[in-house]
Amino acid sequence: MAVSISYTQHRSAPILSQVLLGMGGFLLLACLGWLQGELDLRQDRTVVQIEGLAQLPKGEYLKPALLGYHHLGADILWLRLIQVIGKKRNSADEYEWMYHALDVLTTLDPQYAYAYYAGGVILGDLANRPDLSIRLLEKGVSANPEVWNIPFLLGYNYYFLLGDPAKGAEYIMKAASLPDRPNYLPGLATRMAAEAGNPDTALAFLEARLRETQDPEMREVLAYRMKEVIIERDLPVLENAVEAYRTQHRSLPAALGDLVAVGALSILPEEPFGGDYQLDPKTGAVSSSTHPERLRTFFKRKKLPAYSFPKVEPSYSFPRTWE
Amino acid sequence: MKILSIALNTFRENLRDKLLYNLLVFALLMIGSSVLLSRLTLGEFHRLILDLGLGSINFFGVLIAIFVGIGLVSKEIEKKTIYTIVSKPVARYQFLLGKYLGLTFTLFVNTVVMALGLLLVLYAQDVPVEGMLFKALALIFVEFMVITAVALLFSTFTSATLSAIFTLAMYVIGHLTADLKTFGAKMDDLSRGILNGIYYLLPNLERFNLKGHVVHHLEISGSDLMLIVVYGATYTAFLLFTASLIFHRRDFR
Repeated sequence: MAVSISYTQHRSAPILSQVLLGMGGFLLLACLGWLQGELDLRQDRTVVQIEGLAQLPKGEYLKPALLGYHHLGADILWLRLIQVIGKKRNSADEYEWMYHALDVLTTLDPQYAYAYYAGGVILGDLANRPDLSIRLLEKGVSANPEVWNIPFLLGYNYYFLLGDPAKGAEYIMKAASLPDRPNYLPGLATRMAAEAGNPDTALAFLEARLRETQDPEMREVLAYRMKEVIIERDLPVLENAVEAYRTQHRSLPAALGDLVAVGALSILPEEPFGGDYQLDPKTGAVSSSTHPERLRTFFKRKKLPAYSFPKVEPSYSFPRTWE
Repeated sequence: MKILSIALNTFRENLRDKLLYNLLVFALLMIGSSVLLSRLTLGEFHRLILDLGLGSINFFGVLIAIFVGIGLVSKEIEKKTIYTIVSKPVARYQFLLGKYLGLTFTLFVNTVVMALGLLLVLYAQDVPVEGMLFKALALIFVEFMVITAVALLFSTFTSATLSAIFTLAMYVIGHLTADLKTFGAKMDDLSRGILNGIYYLLPNLERFNLKGHVVHHLEISGSDLMLIVVYGATYTAFLLFTASLIFHRRDFR
């Protein structure tokens, strides 16, 4: 009897108690969500997330701790890293931390060729830290002697960022001898070795880089550099024409247009940034209206590498001048 | 024959324990990650899917091998069901081998289903499948066999909790033994001898790890592969032999 009573009680209660239980459960869940959100708001700032990269243990210690799952570890680190790189601007410190993270990542998985290349591009071109970029890429070359785009990027770094065409050409030659390299590479390599420092060679090199790059931000950087080199290619042509005009007419032309009119120049080159080339009527010097300052040599960037503490001494001393 | 029937029974018991539900988690993980991560990552998406797939096959399998393996014998003793078996004309080593084969078969089914799931995702994502993937999966399975044997060995003489701790420790140490040798090389003769002794006694589980080879299209020679499989089989045999010896002398109270 007692059993049947408790049974009916159990049956008669359910709707109300179930609603109450459901509400209680929902309330607890909502509380959890709110608490989690509040904690996120208080404690997680992007700064903390990026600093996390700096606090990564060295790859040599992290690798054994992953018990054979170090490739997966490298993937997770890569995923975290590219979320940070996705930021529009990174401070100098942040690039150092990125280098550290890339170093750890490539120790976990030394064959992660894409990470070397992408990391080399970011550190070299975006961070303006050729020392760190080269250090990472050289680690990549020794671990992956068969991958062509790592020495290719090294060549680029030496040629454009450090102003050492000879060493740059050496790496491009190395890249050109590796399997799966693009067909234009051997041509570029011989050309670089023969006439390193020639603006047309530099333009061909930049074009090669542009072909290997999908990232829009990087493409912008490369396109800008190409335009700078175009100016450096055009200015000597114009100045030579002015010189020819002066010897012929014993006076300077009034405007650059006159050069075409007298046949010293077949066509007036366009200024790539949309400005124009201007003639100094007193000296006869030609300059660009958008980029009045000359690059010392066309492949050399005006900015000095952005060193900051703790400074990583490059294995290579620079600036090295190239005659 | 007796071994087989015990093995079959163990397999059925595993199914009754809803052990294969872990496959559901694996499926969700694979589908979720292939959809989500392809948007998050940059560059080599193929390797991410392969790493994650092989990593989870390995991880789930190891968890099953450890946590089911430790209960193989101790559960029977706790539930007193062991008396009904021992009183029958079944040798103790037969009981042990049957138990072992049963769990190994469960793990085999589990691994095959997960591998099929991974292949399906790889096919859907147009990732080329190479022979190396199957070699890596085979060695992952050999690792399961060794770990199951370790768990079984411990479960013949200690409680389930202690065996879990010991087996987990063996798993961790098994992936670090290469360091023992490196440390030993820097020490004096006696310490080196001791460390080398420990090194050769413990299983070197890192040998069964070819996950990186799959992602980076590295090759391993057929003879090396054979040698690793034989190493795993021999180690398993050694563990089972020891377990049988211990179990043979054991009193059930």
